[in-house]
Amino acid sequence: MRPATCSAWTSGSSLHPPTVATAPATPDPITADYFDGRSARARVVQLSLVDGELHLHGDGVALRVPAHQVEWPERMRHGPRIARLPDGGSLQGHDAPAWDAWALAGGRGESWVVRAQQSWRWALGSVLGLSVLLAAMYVWGVPWAARVAVAATPPSVDQAIGESALQSLDQQWLRPSKLPAEQQQRLRAAFERATAALPPGSVPAHRIEFRSGPMGPNAFALPGGTMVLTDALVELVQGDEAVIVGVLGHELGHVQQRHGLRLLVQAGAIAAVSSVVLGDFSTLLAGAPVLLGQASYSRDAEREADAHAVTVLKAAGLSPAVMVGFFEKVSARRMPAKEGPAPGSGADQDSRLGIAIASHPADAERIRFFRDAAAR
Amino acid sequence: MSPSTFTNPPTRQRLSFGSAEIRDHLLDVRFTGSGSEYFRIWIVNLLLMLVTLSLYYPWAKVRKLRYFYGNTLVDGQPLDFHGKPLKMLRGYLLVGLLLVLYSVAGNFSPEAGLLAFVLVAALWPALLKSSLQFRMANTSWRGLRFRFMGTVGGAYRAMLPLFVPGVLILAALVAVPDEKNPPMWYVALAGGVTLVTLLVLPWLWYQLKQYQHRHYALGQLQTELRTGPWAFYKVFLKTVGVFLGVLAVVFGAVFLLLGAVGLSSALPGRSGGGLGMALIAGLALGVFGLIVAQIVPRPYFVSRMQNLLWSRTGNNSMRFRSKLKFRPLLMLTVKNWLLVLLTLGLYWPFAAVAVTRMRLHAVTVITRVDPADLLDDARPADGEAAGDAAGDLFGLDIGL
Repeated sequence: MRPATCSAWTSGSSLHPPTVATAPATPDPITADYFDGRSARARVVQLSLVDGELHLHGDGVALRVPAHQVEWPERMRHGPRIARLPDGGSLQGHDAPAWDAWALAGGRGESWVVRAQQSWRWALGSVLGLSVLLAAMYVWGVPWAARVAVAATPPSVDQAIGESALQSLDQQWLRPSKLPAEQQQRLRAAFERATAALPPGSVPAHRIEFRSGPMGPNAFALPGGTMVLTDALVELVQGDEAVIVGVLGHELGHVQQRHGLRLLVQAGAIAAVSSVVLGDFSTLLAGAPVLLGQASYSRDAEREADAHAVTVLKAAGLSPAVMVGFFEKVSARRMPAKEGPAPGSGADQDSRLGIAIASHPADAERIRFFRDAAAR
Repeated sequence: MSPSTFTNPPTRQRLSFGSAEIRDHLLDVRFTGSGSEYFRIWIVNLLLMLVTLSLYYPWAKVRKLRYFYGNTLVDGQPLDFHGKPLKMLRGYLLVGLLLVLYSVAGNFSPEAGLLAFVLVAALWPALLKSSLQFRMANTSWRGLRFRFMGTVGGAYRAMLPLFVPGVLILAALVAVPDEKNPPMWYVALAGGVTLVTLLVLPWLWYQLKQYQHRHYALGQLQTELRTGPWAFYKVFLKTVGVFLGVLAVVFGAVFLLLGAVGLSSALPGRSGGGLGMALIAGLALGVFGLIVAQIVPRPYFVSRMQNLLWSRTGNNSMRFRSKLKFRPLLMLTVKNWLLVLLTLGLYWPFAAVAVTRMRLHAVTVITRVDPADLLDDARPADGEAAGDAAGDLFGLDIGL
């Protein structure tokens, strides 16, 4: 059971064949090495369990310890058995099967965790349970927890995060808008007219900002209600108010659902779970689920925001079809090199592989969504 | 490293290495754990952890440590871990709260984030010390608890190479009025400090390892680490060399491939499709190369560092020797990575057991005293459980 020791002066002190029981008591005593916690010298003792007491004798040792004060070892297939005594001493049984049989006969039960750990059926069941649990957490648990956490968070937190985000964006990426002030005012007014038609109380506090910057035609919403439009986007749609209302309606959807904060919480939750599961092995691998999960949640958020854009457009008496033209323009701008792709078919290709890591749904899917919404 | 820090067993005469009169006895280190058993322990405990929102973690950790320690036989005698899960749970909750505060602080304002970072950095050495102390105080061999004799002051002194450049950068950050247009002196200083930090990294590592390895104690024996910083620089430099070598080989292959395809597509009658394919293949190979460059240097560093540390740790009565070979460890690492990826992580416990076995089997203890003569009159101290939690959550790897 245990490997042979290699030094002459230790081999005598610890290797003992299980002795044949001499006393008729049940269970038969077994031998173990006793360490008192002060000397490193092993003393060979006989162990017996009598009336809820553990008795040690032999080699100048005679001790009685209440069995419930002993920290008993768990049954394993490999390794010796070590019982820890309350006074700092310990017992080592190198013949593990003999120890297990003795402990069982002495009425020492074992927890269901120990039995589960020793059973392949339980282990495979755990693999299954783990997969189901992880999938359920990913699909329902994390989004639900994020929703609850965000609902409990005061809006001032969104405000603070959004403001500091805009500040650092202004420092690093964005430049002031070059659009004429009256055009900015006109676009703002158009959007306010559109949202005025929504049911009262359903429009969250928001603020529309114009910026220019290196990110091309783009619009984004920050936590707290600040929505930023780039000059390039306004130019791309040639100032078409209906499209701007659609785009801002989409961003307002993000604001209303507090997607910014929710994605933050979800990323934190996924990072926590994946570091529990994979962190031991590699932090590099543990980062991957965060990235993939984040992209998937972000696509869900975009879909919700698209639905909100449709609500805003319809309330304002505009057709969601205006967004079809917009996405076709965006899609065509993205791949000018390819020889004249039909906007729909080109985007279908990137949805094959890209979907797992893309933060937005494929353009084709969004075009289809707005086309269907216009037809309804 | 003063020799006064250790005491010989009272029954023995004090002798130095190399003396002919006293025979060195070799104590084997064996690891008897099995991958399939640890897999079952791991998966059951992982499930319990997930359903209890990680509250089960201390129990799982104790079970894991007991399995690994109990199967580590030094001279046929197992190590043992004495930590109490419930006590450890309190430590985890406390430190976990700190960690949450630390990670959300940066979301409120950059100043709050910076403050949290400075606080944690300032606490780090104290956390390292209590983490080591807890681990040692709860580890035993032959019924004797180990001790960690390092002091808090010692931990701060060991970390000095990191603190000095850190404070410099921080002071400069505060002094710079306009962050958008930093003055030249700031850019030069930041660059200089970064370079110096890189250069002192091996020295920092040496300081930390000195701090750890000269403060382990068992019975009357305390260890020393008998090596200088230069040996650490050599290991670091060679590891960088291995990294660059791997990169050179991989990117050489990428360029050869691209060159070959470029030539063939220049021939008449071929479309441009081949070139696109080659670009994709080249890109894939490049990514593969980066992954390989991540995988290969690590086992090199691990094997060389383990040999350096554990062949130089000990004292006149008892010392260690480590002969861990790079190539078998590399093969094992590659195999583990592949299988872990193929099984979506399920192979990880098998990998952990295999690496532990290889690393432990490389170690031998050489002693002139009979370990059975070791004595410890002090009542074992348990150490502060919060220290251990801090070690885990803030990523302090105390390692073997």
